[in-house]
Amino acid sequence: MRSVVSVVKATALEVLSEPLTLLVQLAALTMAVLAPAFHYHQFGEATRMARDAGFSALFTCGSIMAVFGTIRAFRREIESGTLQMALSHPVSRGGFFVAKTLGAAVAYLVFAATVLATSLTIIEGARVGGAYAERTGDIARLSGPFLAAGVAVMLLPLVIGAALNRFARFRFVPTAIATALMLALLAGGASSVLDPALLPRHLPVAALLLCPALVLLAASAAFAVRFKANAAAAAVGIVAALCIPAAGNYYMADALSKGGVVPWSYVAIAAIAALPAAVAFLVLGIRFIGGRDVS
Amino acid sequence: MTGEGIIELVDVRKTFRDFWLRPTVNAVDGLSLSVRRGEVFGLLGPNGSGKSTTIKMILGLLEPSAGKVELFGLSPRSVEARRRLGYLPELSYLHPFLTAKETLGYYAGLCGIPRAESRDRTRQLLDMVGLADVSSRPVGGFSKGMARRVALAASLVGRPELLVLDEPTSGLDPISTKEVKTLVKALAKGGMTILTTSHLLADAEDICDRVMILNHGKSVAEGKVGELGTSLEEFFLAKVGDADSFKLAPFLSQSEATTTRSENEEAARDNRD
Repeated sequence: MRSVVSVVKATALEVLSEPLTLLVQLAALTMAVLAPAFHYHQFGEATRMARDAGFSALFTCGSIMAVFGTIRAFRREIESGTLQMALSHPVSRGGFFVAKTLGAAVAYLVFAATVLATSLTIIEGARVGGAYAERTGDIARLSGPFLAAGVAVMLLPLVIGAALNRFARFRFVPTAIATALMLALLAGGASSVLDPALLPRHLPVAALLLCPALVLLAASAAFAVRFKANAAAAAVGIVAALCIPAAGNYYMADALSKGGVVPWSYVAIAAIAALPAAVAFLVLGIRFIGGRDVS
Repeated sequence: MTGEGIIELVDVRKTFRDFWLRPTVNAVDGLSLSVRRGEVFGLLGPNGSGKSTTIKMILGLLEPSAGKVELFGLSPRSVEARRRLGYLPELSYLHPFLTAKETLGYYAGLCGIPRAESRDRTRQLLDMVGLADVSSRPVGGFSKGMARRVALAASLVGRPELLVLDEPTSGLDPISTKEVKTLVKALAKGGMTILTTSHLLADAEDICDRVMILNHGKSVAEGKVGELGTSLEEFFLAKVGDADSFKLAPFLSQSEATTTRSENEEAARDNRD
């Protein structure tokens, strides 16, 4: 048990300290807060748009996070030779694989919890704001608080990242790049919020907002292509195992947004969707690592 | 020395194959060896002779293509066998994001050592390898020598009965090399069985009780260091020197011809001028 805990902890730390994790997190929160909300919805349906934005971000960026985090954790272990060191210790290959996967899943849970918490906060804010607008008829005054809340949420991981960069041992993405990215997103978001009449002209801004996610998706595809056939199969397994539960999360969060109660049927749907994929992935992975020469 | 065999290899072969399962290289070819409890056994040979492949089969990292490998009478893949061994690889494979203290804690965890004991042992080992002052720094920023010391400490964290050292002094300065040799001798004196590879024959001569010389995956000689009748270096060169000597003559004659040609051209230019 102690060996499993050691591997889980080291893997979660490894995935969370990846600069890409911060970028994906940033992209997810950006998508949740700004991307689809101000382009495809009306203020009258605020809770629905916040929910859609949040959960599409969770699903899209969650896929990227799952692919990147998990594949990189395994790949680095093999390429850097630390797998040799680990497997020369009294830990079974299957146990090590499961622990490594659990570590990546812990990192994914941190990501999912952040996006989910942000989305639920926005949903609640939209509900309160919607009620206020309905009561007073003053919709324009809500733009400012909405924008401020969005920017604050987006800035949070950046501030945390910068603090860790300064005070802890983690080395995240260079602050200058992150700041430039933030400014571009802020400009796009601000123009969209403050001048809805110009929306049709601002479609490129929407595309820009999705760029980080698309770049990461393309990069992950490039990584997958570089792998050999068996590793690619493992990658598909990883995506299936970690993304399908994300789809389950969608249903559960959807239920939460409708009144705070998750019906058991949703829990069952999520479990039914997640379990076979996770089991298939683990069996494939254990077979893959179990019979493989490590050199 | 009790004579009990800790490592047993019987007619072991290892053939590496490509993606289409076509054989590419016979790294180890019919190797048999036995390492007894309490001895320091040296596996020597030129680059590509199969030393590291042999060690990886002993550790269960590589599956032999044929033959039998036993560690403490068990399969090297068994967790029970690996509970009793420590391994220092040729390169210090460490997680760069972990500190020295966390690295040893991680490997102590893999050995199943309880947390409190792991902390004590980590402190002792870091002190032993002279890294107590930098124990909170990530190993990614360490020099090659410092990383080597961390890896050495990691190999000892489980208090193994058998220590497998692949080029233990690789990347170390002369002082650290001497310290490692002293440590190996002390560990052997304390009853630990040690299997080591080295390119530095003088080092092997200093620390090994018995050596085996490998060439092209086969054993070409085996015996006690004191019974070789000559220095280990002379013995080694006699066994494998000819087979692996550089083919200098064609290259030297070519460069001699080039030099002569350019000298002639220079002389011709001088004459024209």
